[in-house]
This record gives sequence, C-alpha cells and structure tokens, in this order.
Amino acid sequence: MSDFELEMVVNGKSIRRRAKPHLRLLDFIRDELNLTGAKEGCGAGECGTCSVFVDGKLVKSCLMPVAKAQGAKVETIEGLTPHGNELTPVQKAFHKTGASQCGYCIPGMVMAATSALRENPGAGIEEIKERLGGNICRCTGYTKIFEAVEIARDVISGKLSIAALEPDGAGKSYIGNNVRRLDAPSKVSGRLRYAGDMVMPGMLHMQVLRSPHAHALIRSIDTSEAESLPGVACVITADDVPGEDGFGVFVHDQPIMARGRVRYVGEAVAAVTADDVITAARAVSLIKVEYEPVAAVFDAEEAMQNGAPVVHDYAPDNVVKHIPIRKGDIEQGFAEADLVVEQTYDTQAVEHAYLEPEAGIAYVDHDDVVTVVSPSQNITHHRHMLAKIIDKPINKVRFIMSPVGGGFGGKEDMIYQGMLALAAMKTGAPVRLVYTREESIISTAKRHPARITYKMGLRNDGRITAVSFRMICDGGAYGLSTEGVMRKAAILSCGPYNIPNVEIDVYGIYTHNTPSGAFRTFGAMQSQFATESHMDICAEKLGLDPFEIRRINMMQDGAVTHTQQVLGSVSMGRVLDAAEKACRWDSGPVGMRGQERNDLGGEGTRPPCTLGARIRKTGDDDHQEVA
Amino acid sequence: MLTCDEYHMPTTLAEALALLQAVPHGSRLVAGATDILPWAREGRAGDVNLPAMIDLSRIEELQGYEVAGGRVRLGANVVYQQFLTDKALRRHLPGMPYCSIWFADDQIREQATLAGNLVNASPAADGTPPMLAHNAELEIARLEGSDIKRRTISLADFVKGPGKTDLGPHEIVTAVICDSLDGYGGSFQKVGQRRSLVISSVCAAACIKMDKTGEVVEDIRLALGGVGPVPMRLDDIEKMLRGKQLTAELIARASAKPAERVASRTRRQYRRTVVKGFIEAAIHEALEDCGARVPGSAEREDAHV
Ligand SMILES: Cc1cc2nc3c(=O)[nH]c(=O)nc-3n(C[C@H](O)[C@H](O)[C@H](O)COP(=O)(O)OP(=O)(O)OC[C@H]3O[C@@H](n4cnc5c(N)ncnc54)[C@H](O)[C@@H]3O)c2cc1C
Repeated sequence: MSDFELEMVVNGKSIRRRAKPHLRLLDFIRDELNLTGAKEGCGAGECGTCSVFVDGKLVKSCLMPVAKAQGAKVETIEGLTPHGNELTPVQKAFHKTGASQCGYCIPGMVMAATSALRENPGAGIEEIKERLGGNICRCTGYTKIFEAVEIARDVISGKLSIAALEPDGAGKSYIGNNVRRLDAPSKVSGRLRYAGDMVMPGMLHMQVLRSPHAHALIRSIDTSEAESLPGVACVITADDVPGEDGFGVFVHDQPIMARGRVRYVGEAVAAVTADDVITAARAVSLIKVEYEPVAAVFDAEEAMQNGAPVVHDYAPDNVVKHIPIRKGDIEQGFAEADLVVEQTYDTQAVEHAYLEPEAGIAYVDHDDVVTVVSPSQNITHHRHMLAKIIDKPINKVRFIMSPVGGGFGGKEDMIYQGMLALAAMKTGAPVRLVYTREESIISTAKRHPARITYKMGLRNDGRITAVSFRMICDGGAYGLSTEGVMRKAAILSCGPYNIPNVEIDVYGIYTHNTPSGAFRTFGAMQSQFATESHMDICAEKLGLDPFEIRRINMMQDGAVTHTQQVLGSVSMGRVLDAAEKACRWDSGPVGMRGQERNDLGGEGTRPPCTLGARIRKTGDDDHQEVA
Repeated sequence: MLTCDEYHMPTTLAEALALLQAVPHGSRLVAGATDILPWAREGRAGDVNLPAMIDLSRIEELQGYEVAGGRVRLGANVVYQQFLTDKALRRHLPGMPYCSIWFADDQIREQATLAGNLVNASPAADGTPPMLAHNAELEIARLEGSDIKRRTISLADFVKGPGKTDLGPHEIVTAVICDSLDGYGGSFQKVGQRRSLVISSVCAAACIKMDKTGEVVEDIRLALGGVGPVPMRLDDIEKMLRGKQLTAELIARASAKPAERVASRTRRQYRRTVVKGFIEAAIHEALEDCGARVPGSAEREDAHV
C-alpha cells in the first residue's frame, strides 16, 4: 500500500505527513494529529460528533477520505480556541445555558453552531435548527443548545451585551438557580478526553469476534492463523481466564467471552490484540469457530413453559428473578368492584444509543496493578468482579472511570473491560478497544421488553378496589441488572395510587435475545406506561375526567405504599394541578369535552416541523439569501 | 471499514478515464464518498478492501454548471448544497431547493454530488424524482484509444433498478443535463423517520407553470420516489392536468391515481396513503412557489381547523 504525502493547514499550522490512503479525515486528525475534539459517534455521517471545517465548509470528517483534504485549510474545535485564547461567544453561550451534559456531542454541536452563524449571522431559530439538523444529542436536549446559539448570535451582532454570557447571579439556594457546570469549559472546547480519545505509548488495539448464532455450542476455536498474522500480539478466548469467570450486577452468569456456548447474536467469542485496528480486524476474520446451533427461545412467555430450551443450567425454569408482592385480600377487592378492566400492554427493547460507543484502555502498571480505564457506571463493583475473574487480590486491580459520554444505565455492566484486562496481562502492553456504533447496538444491553397484564377493579365513583399486575420481562441471555430492574418495576407497579388490595408478580426471564439491562427509569417506564394507560381507559369506561380519577386515588401525605414505605410528603396533587393548568386541560370525561380544544397550539406548544426557512419566499427575497 | 491499496486524484478527465481502464477489477470511482464510505460497514458490505479508488473531485471539467438553450448542464461534481446557495441555480431548477433542504444535512450536502446520487440508484434517492421532472439526461464519457467519447442517455433509461444503471465499467458520468424551468414553481415532499439525515420512505417532486391568467396549467411535471424499484415520472397525471383549469376537485382526482402504482415490497398500504396526500401537497406548494392561487385553499383551511 503506497502512502500518501499529505500537506494541509490544520488550525493555522502547516503540516506534512505521510499517511495511508484509506484513512478518513477523522482518523487522520485524531490518530495522526492527536486532535480528539472531533469524535466518532457513528462512523456513518449520522451523528455529527466528527464535524470539522474544510476550506471554510463544515463537513463530517467520518465521510471524507483524508486525500480530499490535500492542500486544504482544516479547522477543528481545537482551532476555535488556540492555546491561551478564551472561549468563543458560542462556547461561552453553551456554558451559560448548560448546553453540555455528557459532552460527547458538544464539540460537534459547537462546530455546527459556529458554522450556522458564520453562514448566516442573522439566522432565525428555524434556520438554526435546520443547520444543526445533522448533529444528534442524547442527553443535554436540544432546547438549551438552541438557546445558546441564539444568545451567541445576539452577542456577536451586538444586540445583546457580552454580560449575557456571564453566569447568573447566585441566589441563596442552588435550587431554582442556574448553577454553571464546572466541567463545561472542557466539553465546549473539545479538550475533555473520553476513553476512546486516550492514547498510551506502545498501545495495542483490540477487535472482537462475535457470535452469529443465538444459541450454539462451541465445538472448537482455531486461532492459529490469526495469531500468525504479522502485527498480531495475542488472541484471547475464555480459556485465558485465570480465575472464576463470571460477571453481572446480581448474578455472575456471564463469562468474559463465550465459554463452550454462545447465548445471543453478538456475544463475544474471542478477541485479537494487534498493532492497529485494521490488522486486528483482519485477524478476527481468520479465527475459525466450529458452532453447533441448538434450539433457542426468543419469547419470554415461551421460555417460561415446560420443555423450553434452557438458557442457563443453574436456572432450568429460565427465571432470572420473580418478585411477588401481596397486600390485602385480592379476591375481596375484586368482589367489591363495580367494574373490572383487564388489558395487556407490551413494550419493546430500546437501545440507549449514547453518543459515546463503549471504549476502554487497560494496562498493567509498574506495581503489577491491572488497570482498566473506561466509562464504567459501576467501577467499584467491576473492580471486585474483575479481581475474582483474573484471580488477583483486590489491591492489584484498579478501575479508573473516564468521562461517560452518555450512559443511561447502559454502561453499568462490565461487558468488555474483562477482555481488555486479559489482553493487557497477556501482552504486557496497554490495549485499547473502541466499539463501532454497529457493535454497540448489536452486543450491548437494551431496555427490558415487557408484557404487562393489568387487571383493575373499581367502584362506580372511581375508587380502585384491587389491582392484579403481572409483568413478564425479557431479560435476554444474561442476568446483568435484571433483578434490580424487576424490583423497581414491582415497587412502582401500581403508580402513586392508594390501592387496598394488590397482587403483583414481576418476572425477569432468560431468552436467547440480546441481554436486557439497566436503562433510565430502571423498570419504572414499563410499569408506568401500563398503569397510566390503564387509568385513562378506566376513566373513559366510568365517564370520569382523567385528572379526576387520578385525584380520587392518589396517595396523600403519610400514605403507606404496598412495599410498606411511609411517604412523609406526597406531591402528586400539586403535580396534577400544575400539569392540568399547563396543558390548558378542558375538564370533563373523555369524549365529552367541548367542541374546540384549548390544549392544541398556542403558547407552550410546539409547532410542527418545517424545513426551508432560509429559502422560503417571503417577498423579501434577499433577506432569505444565504451568504 | 473501507480500505484501499491505491487512492488516485486525477485532475483531468482523460487522466481519470485512463486510470479507470488501468486499475484492477473491483476498483471504484469516488465523488463525495457519502455513499461509498457508509456502504463498507457492518450490516452492509462489511470491511472492504478496494484495489483502487479514483477520486473525481479534483477534475476541473466536472466542476460548475452552464445554462444554454433552455438546458442546464450540471458538472458531475456539483454538490447538493449548491442547489440551495446558488441563486441562479435556484431559479433554473425550481425542483431542487426543497429536495436539497430535505437531503441529509448541511454538512453532507457540501460533499454529496447529484451525479453520485443518481449513479448510486437507490429507489429512494431524493435527487431522481426532481431530475426526472426536469427531463434530465446523463452525459457519460469513456476512452476509445486515446479519444474521449461521450454519449447521453435519459435519466429514465439510465436507472434500471435498485443499484443498477446503464453505466459501463470504464465509463464516468461527466454531467447531468436538464431543462431550465425558470418561471415554474417547484416543490418536494418527503417522509422518513425524522427530519434530517433520513432516507425517504416516499418522496415526490412537482414543477408547475401556470398561464397568464393564473388559472390554467401551462405545464406540469410530477415524479415519485421510494414507491418501487425505480423512481417514476407520472405522465398520465400530468396529461390530466396540462392545459386544464385547476380546481380542487381536479387536483383531488389526479392525486388519487398514483397510489395504484406503489409497488414497494414493504409498507405498501402506508405508502399508498402517503402518495395521495403528497401529490396534492406537491401541487399546492408548487403553485404557492410560483405565486399562483391554490384552488380550494379556503375550504381546506376550514376543513383542517
Ligand atoms: C447520513 C447520510 C444521509 C443521507 N441522506 C440522503 C438523503 O436524504 N437523500 C438521498 O437521496 N441520499 C442520502 N444519502 C446518500 C448519499 O449522500 C447520496 O446518494 C449522495 O448524493 C451520493 O453522492 P456522493 O458524491 O457522495 O457519491 P459517492 O459515495 O462518492 O459515490 C456513489 C456511487 O456513485 C459512483 N459515482 C460517483 N460519481 C460518479 C461519476 N461521476 N461517474 C460514475 N460513477 C460515479 C461511485 O462509484 C459510487 O458507486 C445520505 C447519506 C448519508 C451518509
């Protein structure tokens, strides 16, 4: 492969490098120039974390072969604030409005905002939204970002004084006051390094071989060809685990890599460590695995039947966790009801899609401490598990938490840190693994899909007499956080309502699907979806206003929940009042409200999406013209 | 991941054509690279190593555009953003600005070429319906000995099926040549899963010119994408409307027809429903775009309250 002689001006500095022709501009600026403000969130042009200017035009550097930047002027986020310079108005405005949470999308957002205001310094909010349309955020939320761009626009044009970028005066309390994030400057400037941005001298790169089968026995793994590929440092499989293999938040049922059997599509089977990612990937394709596919089960209810394929021998009934809760006399409760309503609710698996794909570096330090740097949301627990798995005393295992570029629960599980540790131990070199977006979606935990059968007894006046709540969750192939999620779902199953007679059964079930794990709300979303949908349906059947049925049944100060928790103060009533007012609710039973709806359109509502603000003909053609 | 053994950046067409003949089988042309890079990823082609990539973006004769004799000659390196930022192009190609604003995002539009979009021949390519409406042809060059030979082919004949075109192995598209529709109103309708960065489930393009009275259709061009293996021009519906006094009733009748042509393998019923509304909306917006009265707009407003 003949290298390319590249010359370009990057952030005002002339550079000349020889580089491989297949590099993307993103790889070049990150790996060759060590400018890591631009990130790789997707590698397919979908997310905008990699945005940079090339000859003044903002482009996605993951879609640009580096050769295209030959002779060009490239400006990255680092170029906006050369060393010693203060933040730009755009960056300060992002800081001001709190438009940086995990921060992973923020360098790209700042670049897109900068580009929008360079292209049209007078851009209105609709045009700003359009121009930021190629950048995705998963946790900050777009409102603060748009707010920041508008403030920056007005400060740059002089319409607002620069004082608008200063912090708000601190009040007496943090609550209700705009408190600035300490870490925002590092995020809006792209200086913050996430695990995938970190480099160490002599660092090797890992790639993972994953199962194409949902359920298969591994007859053999032949790594010889992969191992003999020049540039390969080592290949690891489950056989390399020195200690007691198994991790998980509650039950340690998941091996570092598949051990004798794969249980879902995407499960790690082997991992290669090599000088570079491409060599590692080539070596992965040379590993030969003999699989013997066996019967699999993909539906949680089917997995509960006798004779269903068993996912783990220790749980022949495929139950990860069953949480039963009983309160009062359920039969009596239904007998007292004037109306009994039964419905089944289904929710689906959901991917966290944090913009930072999983990444980590492991190394063995001068004192033989096996160290793993990763955006783990649970480092202490990981450390204890890893010590057992690699058979080291706890003082020889260290976890360092790198900035988390979005987690939402998805980074609570130790799904790849074990492989990194093993490879670092085997090679003696630092080893880095950075997932691709595809890999992240295929192999990491999802929100539990749930099927909830809800049966509610009510009196004609709207009072609930009894609830039977049966929830079956697809936990997928491994336990991960399933037990905790089931507990939370059971605790919150009946919502904030006072219900005298309750029968709750929540099941987390093994299947051969992608494992389910922690995800924002931790089981509450599924049960609340069912409960609140059910309340609406019951209100309609009883001819009640949906707010009214909730007020009749809501918990009050001093209420005792079905898990015996005494609630000193309950804000449910105030929440309902505020929601009712804010949405301009027309009181009355469903289907019986007035002819005109007050709750659609107007203040506080969002108009439908449009596109073309900058080209729409308004009679004042030049005003809309793009510079 | 896309890797290659050689990456060429020819600066003349002759050089590019010669390279194209010389490089090993399996080598590829690259324009904006916005299709070819994401193609070489897991779930699609996976890791791909190409013997050579021939980058066309530095070829001077493929840049820019010319307008002459009622036709616009768009060099193969014209990118989508130009349909938004270039005032003259916006006037000559009223079918393109809204297509462009719905296309990917501002950043990808700086890279993505119209020619690449047409050659890629996705059934959902956004550029094909408006270009069909503009009676586009492709100008294609190849080398015969040391001479550059050119041929033209209509876009309708060029696109043969999903990913299939009439392009020969040693040929390069040098230009897209289409009608200037100066004085027409244009519109583009698109639905996908979100607003930006989304491939169309259905898209529709319309260009309309009304006569001096503003009531009678002098010319109309309609095309649909995403509803079958190749985007299609709706000649029969154009015929129903051309030369006619436009009424709400006539538009409604015309809009109902193309649903029959939806031949997609998935979500067929959904697409049929969408198509009906799209033709109507496309005609309305194109009328608004050229400042013509939209028939029945008052009644419609009432019906939507
Ligand atoms: C995030 C994202 C969003 C997208 N959104 C849209 C969208 O909204 N609508 C849409 O239609 N498409 C969309 N696309 C697809 C893509 O951007 C377009 O198809 C684009 O126009 C392709 O042009 P290109 O110049 O990048 O082509 P390239 O990727 O460079 O090439 C595409 C193909 O055409 C060939 N080719 C290119 N130029 C020539 C030539 N002159 N002669 C012969 N062959 C040639 C190449 O060999 C290749 O096979 C999107 C892509 C991404 C990554």
